[in-house]
Amino acid sequence: MRLVGLLNRDKSGMRHISGTMVSESVRTESKESSTTALTVSNLSKIYDSTAGRVIALDKINFSVKKGEFVSIVGPSGSGKSTLLNMIGALDRPTMGNVYINGIDIFSLDDSMIATMRNNLIGFIFQSFNLINRTTVLKNVKLPGTISGMSTGKSHERAMKILEALGIGDKANQKPVNLSGGQQQRVAIARALVNNPTIVLADEPTGNLDTKTGEDVFDMLKTLSHKYRRTIIMVTHNPELAESTDRSISIRDGRIEKDVTN
Amino acid sequence: MNPSDIFSLAYDALVDRKVRTVLTVMMVVLGASLVVVIDGLSAGQAAFLAQQLDSLATNIMYISSGQHSYHGDASSSASLIINSAVVNKIRGLPDVTDVVPEYSGGVTIDSYGNIQHVSVTGMDPTKITDMLPNVQYVEGSTLPAASDRTAVVVGDSIANPPGSTTPFVTVGQTLTLTYTYADSSGKQEQEQRSFIVDAVMKPSGNQRIDNGLIINTDAANQLLHKSGRYDSLMVQTTDDTAISAVQQELTNLYGKSMGIMVPAAFIAVRQQTAEGNAMFVEMIGLIALIVGAVGIVTTLYNSVNERVREIGTMKAIGAQNSSIMALFLVEAAMIGILGASTGLGIGVLGGYAMTSFPSQPAGHGGPGGFGPATQSISSFPPIFLPLDLAKVWLLSVALALMAGIFPAWKASRLSPMVALRRE
Repeated sequence: MRLVGLLNRDKSGMRHISGTMVSESVRTESKESSTTALTVSNLSKIYDSTAGRVIALDKINFSVKKGEFVSIVGPSGSGKSTLLNMIGALDRPTMGNVYINGIDIFSLDDSMIATMRNNLIGFIFQSFNLINRTTVLKNVKLPGTISGMSTGKSHERAMKILEALGIGDKANQKPVNLSGGQQQRVAIARALVNNPTIVLADEPTGNLDTKTGEDVFDMLKTLSHKYRRTIIMVTHNPELAESTDRSISIRDGRIEKDVTN
Repeated sequence: MNPSDIFSLAYDALVDRKVRTVLTVMMVVLGASLVVVIDGLSAGQAAFLAQQLDSLATNIMYISSGQHSYHGDASSSASLIINSAVVNKIRGLPDVTDVVPEYSGGVTIDSYGNIQHVSVTGMDPTKITDMLPNVQYVEGSTLPAASDRTAVVVGDSIANPPGSTTPFVTVGQTLTLTYTYADSSGKQEQEQRSFIVDAVMKPSGNQRIDNGLIINTDAANQLLHKSGRYDSLMVQTTDDTAISAVQQELTNLYGKSMGIMVPAAFIAVRQQTAEGNAMFVEMIGLIALIVGAVGIVTTLYNSVNERVREIGTMKAIGAQNSSIMALFLVEAAMIGILGASTGLGIGVLGGYAMTSFPSQPAGHGGPGGFGPATQSISSFPPIFLPLDLAKVWLLSVALALMAGIFPAWKASRLSPMVALRRE
């Protein structure tokens, strides 16, 4: 219960992007947007290279409700990671829009997109992507540090999340000294510290053994169901995908199936 | 990001790569310390030469029988024999107010059983002030009369040898001077005379003065077996503007059979040479600093390449391009600040260390007893002016920052998606 309290706090303090920084022209407020965390509209990504034209994503459309746990599945090269990168604004689409909390994220400039990523999106990577030279606590505090959160506040939040995830005692250790599962928990804690609208997880169990992978997946599930976090997870694992609220299958850059589990 | 957070992250990154950081800092240290040492020694040398220039009368020139003219070309003509006739002739030239003949040679002095090899000048002691307007004497000294054949005036370095706590010679003491020479058959003979120390000069900054003895002209003629042939003449002109005219007149009279030296001009040229040398060596120091800056570029560039995923992660979680750029620039600045500060300290210590070696006695190169002497590096203690040190520090830090710009820019422009894909 401590985690839910933590995740519901500070909303006004952290959501600069949905406040004064975003003009009304890029916001699509509607009744739907109050329950929709994410809308992907006609999203396409085309790569032109010497080898030829590659359509990585072809007019993808879907929406994700707040608190929904969605898995994106598909074979290698299907475009699922490209889709996740677009949703996370790590790359710009060739065409189409992505709305997070009603904000058309690609109408923002690079600086605003960075702020948006900091405030609205939490990333969990397959290979954890922790900064190994520094402590677990500093890793978890990093999004808060970037957003300009006070040291005391980011420390307090980071510690509470680490404790809620059962690794509070590892706060002063370096990530390299932790097990894979523990490192992924650190990455989850980092993704949550700024209380994001959406958590994007790219193969979060891919580098973990089965048991640890299940533990991490259960943790994400708990975050979604118990604490109403919106999670979009890319996975190869069909069993995990079936355990999410909804599975979107991608093949050749298009949505092949969109199944509610 | 708060500046303190950026500093903290930059510090962590540098500490994480200790060896590389230390090596890069050392490059900056080397450059900065080299520039500081050169600056300090140059300033010290400049001050020393200025002091020498101040200590010499500007209306004085020296004439020697040898080929000592620093202006003149090497000559194959016979050396001028400087005797009373030459003295009288020069004395009669326009604008010449006085001519002081001098004998010079090397003697050993015995003071209570302690022996020193020194140079001695035989001249009218009352003319010392004409040549060296600022010369001062220790308490109890009395400048001997021109005719006093038993008096000796002693330079400070002889009276108080460097490194010795007890004086070698004091006022009122008797000194025995021994001149060793070869007679017509080649046999070594010695001439010995005793003198009373009438005056001891205070440190003048001029090694020739500080390392010399002055005795009466006739006494020197006998002691040094000169047979009335002077080694040099000190020619005093009405003022410094007359120097050139008199010099020209002397050249017309004696051609290249004599050497002419104007100490003030000599030192002025030495000053210019020293400045030129200092600039040259300073350029080497600057090159060392630039090499240090290249080292910073290499270090940070490698660091960017090694931390691509970290940069990608930071950007993915919201770091602005400006924050990433600031992070790497702060790393460069930290290297620069650490290197420059350490370099300043080492440079100052190094400057003093280089000049702490014992000074060699002056050579007997120039004509006359009191012309400028060749100085060893230890003759002029370094001078470190705060403004010069601040300039070197700022230059080092600025170069470090400039060196950091490209790697920092490269890091800031990395696409997060591309960076995250990098293995």
